[in-house]
Amino acid sequence: MKNVTWTVVQFPSDLGPDNRRTLRKDLLSALRVSGASVIADLSLRQSLDHDDIDLLLECVAHVAGRDAKLVIVASSRVLRALLEVSRIASVVPVCGSTEEASAHPQVDAETISVSTSLVPTDLTETIGVRQ
Amino acid sequence: MEMSAVAVVPAREDFAAMCGVHPEIQTVSGNPLELYSPRMPILGNDLLESWAARVRRLGLRSLWVTPGDRDGSVAPSTLAGFFRNGVERLLVIRLKSYAEMDLADLLRFHFEKQNPVTEAHDARGQLGVCLLDRSFLQTTDGKVQSICPPTDYARIPYPFNGYAKRILSARERQELVGDALTGTCEMRPSGTQIREQVWAGAGVQVAGSARVIGPAYIGARTKLGDGATVGPFASVEHDCVVDCGTTVEHSTVLPNTYLAPGLLIRNSQVDGRHLEHLGWGAVADLQPAGLGRRIERRPSGRQVFRAPTKETSPGSDSCFSLGRDFTTSSTLSQPALRVQL
Repeated sequence: MKNVTWTVVQFPSDLGPDNRRTLRKDLLSALRVSGASVIADLSLRQSLDHDDIDLLLECVAHVAGRDAKLVIVASSRVLRALLEVSRIASVVPVCGSTEEASAHPQVDAETISVSTSLVPTDLTETIGVRQ
Repeated sequence: MEMSAVAVVPAREDFAAMCGVHPEIQTVSGNPLELYSPRMPILGNDLLESWAARVRRLGLRSLWVTPGDRDGSVAPSTLAGFFRNGVERLLVIRLKSYAEMDLADLLRFHFEKQNPVTEAHDARGQLGVCLLDRSFLQTTDGKVQSICPPTDYARIPYPFNGYAKRILSARERQELVGDALTGTCEMRPSGTQIREQVWAGAGVQVAGSARVIGPAYIGARTKLGDGATVGPFASVEHDCVVDCGTTVEHSTVLPNTYLAPGLLIRNSQVDGRHLEHLGWGAVADLQPAGLGRRIERRPSGRQVFRAPTKETSPGSDSCFSLGRDFTTSSTLSQPALRVQL
């Protein structure tokens, strides 16, 4: 496990169209960095609207299959309910505070070790397991 | 001794509107009482009907229905109005709980104790059912003035040890749904049992790839989209839409609710745009997030109520079958309906 530098992007309590564009740009830029670890901090939000859900789903899609890490901070029970209902909480860890999110376990792709004895011989070449 | 029963329903506005247009009342199924509890069906059952059946077993031939506050409380002047009309004993049922209570036993207890008021309690307190005698009233010059505060009397609660759930609590309501689906209590889902522990009302539409996992209930005219999953321990009441890929488990969806595609509704009660999470106690508004909303009732589904002549067939998905005859009262201080049982 390596030390991780988290980028915290805070959702303002109220978002106008301009702010929303800026927020989206900040979030996606942060997630584009290789090995990025981003905290989307919703602690100022009381609820989520359609655009918030869309943006979070876009981030989820951005992270999927890449070495980026996204954690959502939502202290409110209402937000947690909305994140569960929209299934975002099923694919992204949701924490109660940025401190909790920062302590979220990091598993870096480079640290994964695969015992070759557990991999069938004919498969080791296919997936390129390092001997 | 003349005895009457009154059910106090938490729907003042509906009630006023209904009395205002009598006798041509707009209801969905031609039943005058349906308006009182349009948002309260439990597996297609109406709590008012459940209590009416118990009142009927007591030998009473009619049940008064009067509006109260959201919690089922009623103004003392309303109750006093019944006594002014010559009633000597009044059974008051506030629609706040489902209780499998033998009202005859409550009456026997009331006789034995000779107390002017007997209120049913279980281990957790009042159940909203009480018997009041005329002597409970304060009188001046022979005229009833008001109901005495209950604390003026030595209160002897009727101890009820049977099955009871407070349906104003979403959590207990969900427990009742689970118990009824598994046969743990007397209540049974309305509609047709299509397989073990799965019931469906009339006109349900289930897409080919949707799944219903028992125990579960699908109310009349509800639609399940492709890939939707309902159950286990789920109840989707009438006229709902569960869109594609949405899962409803350990939850209740109240009537006329639309759920957007791809949702996970778990351990919750959804009523239109509002979702109450039973675990966290949070109430979330689904509509701004585009996750859910209330479906407006279609005017074409309504029928004009006429002097009732047609009985609801047993086992149909209609919520109410007792409203074959009713009259309104103009002598009580609050509007009231008298329903023939």
